[in-house]
Amino acid sequence: MFILEAIRDFFVGLGSQFYQTMIVDDRWKMLISGLQNTLIIAFFALLIGVAIGTFVAIVKVMAVMNSKSKLLRLLNWLCNIYINIIRGTPVVVQLLIMYFVVFVSVTNALFIAIVSFGLNSGAYVAEIMRAGILAVDKGQTEAGRSLGLSGSQTMKAIILPQAIKNILPALCNEFITLLKETSIAGYVAIQDLTKAGDRIRFTTYDPFTPLIVVALIYLVMVLGLTWIIGKFERRLAKSDNR
Amino acid sequence: MITVKKLNKKFGDNHVLRDIDEFIEKGEKVVIIGPSGSGKSTFLRSINLLETPTSGEIWYEDECITKPGYDADRIRRRMGMVFQHFNLFPHLNIMKNITLAPVMLKIMTQDEADERALRLLRRVSLQEKADAYPSSLSGGQKQRIAIVRSLAMNPQVMLFDEPTSALDPEMVGEVLDVIRELAEDGMTMIVVTHEMGFAREVGTRILLMDEGRIIEQNSPDRFFTEPKHPRVIEFLSKVL
Ligand SMILES: Nc1ncnc2c1ncn2[C@@H]1O[C@H](COP(=O)(O)OP(=O)(O)OP(=O)(O)O)[C@@H](O)[C@H]1O
Ligand SMILES: [Mg+2]
Repeated sequence: MFILEAIRDFFVGLGSQFYQTMIVDDRWKMLISGLQNTLIIAFFALLIGVAIGTFVAIVKVMAVMNSKSKLLRLLNWLCNIYINIIRGTPVVVQLLIMYFVVFVSVTNALFIAIVSFGLNSGAYVAEIMRAGILAVDKGQTEAGRSLGLSGSQTMKAIILPQAIKNILPALCNEFITLLKETSIAGYVAIQDLTKAGDRIRFTTYDPFTPLIVVALIYLVMVLGLTWIIGKFERRLAKSDNR
Repeated sequence: MITVKKLNKKFGDNHVLRDIDEFIEKGEKVVIIGPSGSGKSTFLRSINLLETPTSGEIWYEDECITKPGYDADRIRRRMGMVFQHFNLFPHLNIMKNITLAPVMLKIMTQDEADERALRLLRRVSLQEKADAYPSSLSGGQKQRIAIVRSLAMNPQVMLFDEPTSALDPEMVGEVLDVIRELAEDGMTMIVVTHEMGFAREVGTRILLMDEGRIIEQNSPDRFFTEPKHPRVIEFLSKVL
């Protein structure tokens, strides 16, 4: 009997602690708007990342195919510099530089975060896309070219539609990475999910409840996305043998 | 029709084609045989510029196609190429596989291309596969479609690189039949193959490559009955 009571008291305590920390003053609403910001940054950063990544990947692949083109060589060189800088520096530092140096005169921190994470993601998406394109059998390019199609026609009509299957699941994983990485947005005064949780900790002197709740929200989102990717991959695999 | 002058190709230190001189006339069916690694594929792929020669010239009619700045796509539209592994486009159905290039290159409208594709499909008895996807076809069917896909561009020359080597034995015949028919229609062709019976029957001239050189060539009858070069005698003793 004593043990049961202790357990009951624990949960009652937990419940009232949760109530005090999260419900009073509608503090949970801070988490909701924080989550909103987190999702906005991750989503638009991924869009920018995909745009940049596609361009960089195509430049790099085409540069290998036509090693004589001066323009492609120059573009390839610039892309390599970009990739090295992005991959060689911490994302927090990139964010701080964007906020305090590049965009000093811009007041919209959310915009700066989106651009910053987008630029960062682009370097990784480029690698995803390049690998996806290179995974398409070389014979496909040769068949396209031997029919008289140009390099870019072959890329557009033959290689990219096949590469998409290799790319999409990896892109979803990139979104998961972004979702977690945006938790540093608080560094530049953005109320994202993590920062919102931290604010609640600070005002209520209860670190346990808000931080665990924040962690659980991230975990649920990531597990949900992982599950969707799994379904997705199985469907794509099936459409291979239509 | 095709003139090859002192053609050399190196992959790094690997000297794959050595001073090849060759002239191929319109309507000829040239068969290339030779041991593995002797440069047969490289030679074939150089002719439609899938490989860039290290030195030497290739002329197509009165154009030098190896001169710097020559638009390789132009020559490839006039030369069909069939690969050992078919290389059909798996994401497109058979009809699209065949019509993609002529439509994309604005040589035909989609309607014209469809009509031509159907006519060609009937010729290889695969019209009922028009809407199928490549993965549902047998190897022999895939290769017949690959041939049709090349023919859709209305080429003047066809290059075949071991078109039956990846096939199960029972499917070799159906593909060779299509090539044989094409030969009878007067198509100029260069065929790399290990099918000696086919070489003898369809070829008008047989070349034997060894270590990057064409070491012997002759009409089919004499090639097999009066080989001269010791390497040719050795090769024939292995494959016949
Ligand atoms: N893209 C390439 N890069 C480097 N080396 C290559 C390349 N293509 C071919 N080679 C080399 O060139 C030589 C000739 O190859 P090729 O494919 O022309 O021979 P082949 O006569 O067609 O042989 P097989 O009967 O096996 O098809 C080989 O040593 C091969 O390793
Ligand atoms: Mg070969």
